[in-house]
Amino acid sequence: MEFHSVPSSVPRVRQIGAVNWLGLWTLYMKEVRRFLNVYTQTLLAPVVTTLLFLAIFTLALGRAGRGIDGIDYSLFLAPGLIMMAIAQNAFANTSSSLVIAKIQGNIVDILMPPLSPAELLLGILGGGVTRGLLVGLVVLLAMWLFVPLTIQAPLFILYHAIMAAFMLALLGMIGGIWAQKFEHISAVTNFVITPLTFLSGTFYSIDRLPGAWHWVAQANPFFYMIDGFRYGFIGRADAAPVAGILVMAAVNLLLWLLAYRMIATGYRLKP
Amino acid sequence: MSPPLGSAKGQINRPRRPLPLGPLNLIGDLTLFRRGTLRYWRMGWNSLAGPCVSALLFLTVFLLAADGTAAGGGAIALGAFVAPGIVVFSLCQNGFENAGFSLMEDKQEGMIGDLLVAPLRAIEIMLGYVLPGACSALATGLLVFCLTLIFVDYSPVAPLLGLAYAAATALLFALFGTLAALWGQRWEHYSAAETFVVLPLAFLSGTFFSLDRLTGGLQVLVMANPVFHAVNGLRYALTGYQEASLALGGLVLLLANGGLLALLWWLFRRGYNIKA
Repeated sequence: MEFHSVPSSVPRVRQIGAVNWLGLWTLYMKEVRRFLNVYTQTLLAPVVTTLLFLAIFTLALGRAGRGIDGIDYSLFLAPGLIMMAIAQNAFANTSSSLVIAKIQGNIVDILMPPLSPAELLLGILGGGVTRGLLVGLVVLLAMWLFVPLTIQAPLFILYHAIMAAFMLALLGMIGGIWAQKFEHISAVTNFVITPLTFLSGTFYSIDRLPGAWHWVAQANPFFYMIDGFRYGFIGRADAAPVAGILVMAAVNLLLWLLAYRMIATGYRLKP
Repeated sequence: MSPPLGSAKGQINRPRRPLPLGPLNLIGDLTLFRRGTLRYWRMGWNSLAGPCVSALLFLTVFLLAADGTAAGGGAIALGAFVAPGIVVFSLCQNGFENAGFSLMEDKQEGMIGDLLVAPLRAIEIMLGYVLPGACSALATGLLVFCLTLIFVDYSPVAPLLGLAYAAATALLFALFGTLAALWGQRWEHYSAAETFVVLPLAFLSGTFFSLDRLTGGLQVLVMANPVFHAVNGLRYALTGYQEASLALGGLVLLLANGGLLALLWWLFRRGYNIKA
């Protein structure tokens, strides 16, 4: 008689090692499916806007014989626009995911499972980074139809694309955790992210800026990611390439620590 | 025994006589208009400041990138060339979003039913979305215009004509927005309409480049874009510089507005996508 033995139909408690790989993967895939489900808004729309920007700026400013340091204006502009698309989409993914989850209340569904702060951070970040890089790739392919981009330094392109996607996904997380209403996050987009992307040397070489503004532009981390990314395509940069690599690594580290602290303490996530 | 609720001295309430309505339900119309504008202004600085910041960014970036090059063969300063287009761009985007968001939200939340059972004609419901959207867009456009004064010297030749063009543009895009929201069953449909129709129309309109930069076929295509005529008209009103006939532009805007108004009225009468 085995009255006291546990029936085999009752599952045993799942053992989780140092990392909850299954949970991490599930959270990551949830984030990815979230944006793939509406691919017209998340993948095709950025392509259309970027190509429109390319068309109007090249038509307006790209006259024959004009360019920046002898580089055709469209070749100068295209990498910056790709970077802008990566940045905006990485930010939009993490920030909207968190704000919607907080407002609809389903944030508890990711706070309750056995996921550590680092796993939570990585899972959501992964979705933003994936969207940023995927959009970047699609936009790059679309650009190639119109602009004869060449790849001079593939590692620079890859490094800056990944670092930029991480940076903006982290910013989106921090903004999304801080925001309590949709208005808050759209204010961050309007007053912080858009100005930083626009004024970062996507459309002009910052050598053109007068004295003090030149220094201000150099203090903008967005400038380094665009400059470094562009260096990979045209082999010319406004700043020293090494400086860009260091700035991006440092900014990402700081933002990671801040976001980690926010999640670990439950700032505006847990009551 | 206490009398039934709502009746004096135990008598049963007689139903009230229906409100006498003329050909137009003015109380209803004004209420709808007030609702539509409140919806916009409730968001306050956010709904106003967003378009202003992005308009100023566009202008700054463009002037910096252009590095003093004149447009239109040197006949006009670049700032004065671009700024009217940026004002028109914010009219387009805001007109579309203000009118469209309202209707889309009402459809999604089921509140549209409250309007359908009210004693309002189809045209009154339709205008209840279109007019507040257009007016809010016009207000935003005026604010953006005032901000561009910081950077740009205009030499206005026909301010009233400019206002008429701006109003026609705001109305046109409020109509577009309402149409998109009526057609869209989900938010994705609506935002797809914005990305794939409205943004291309607004961007490929000669806001940033002069028409002579395009070759024959493309020129005709841009000339068929009502936004091009809106930009051209406003630019003429503010600077006296024009690239195409103003009479033709007025006609195109009038026809586009009239056509869309008629189409939308017909759809609202049929209850397209809003009545079961």
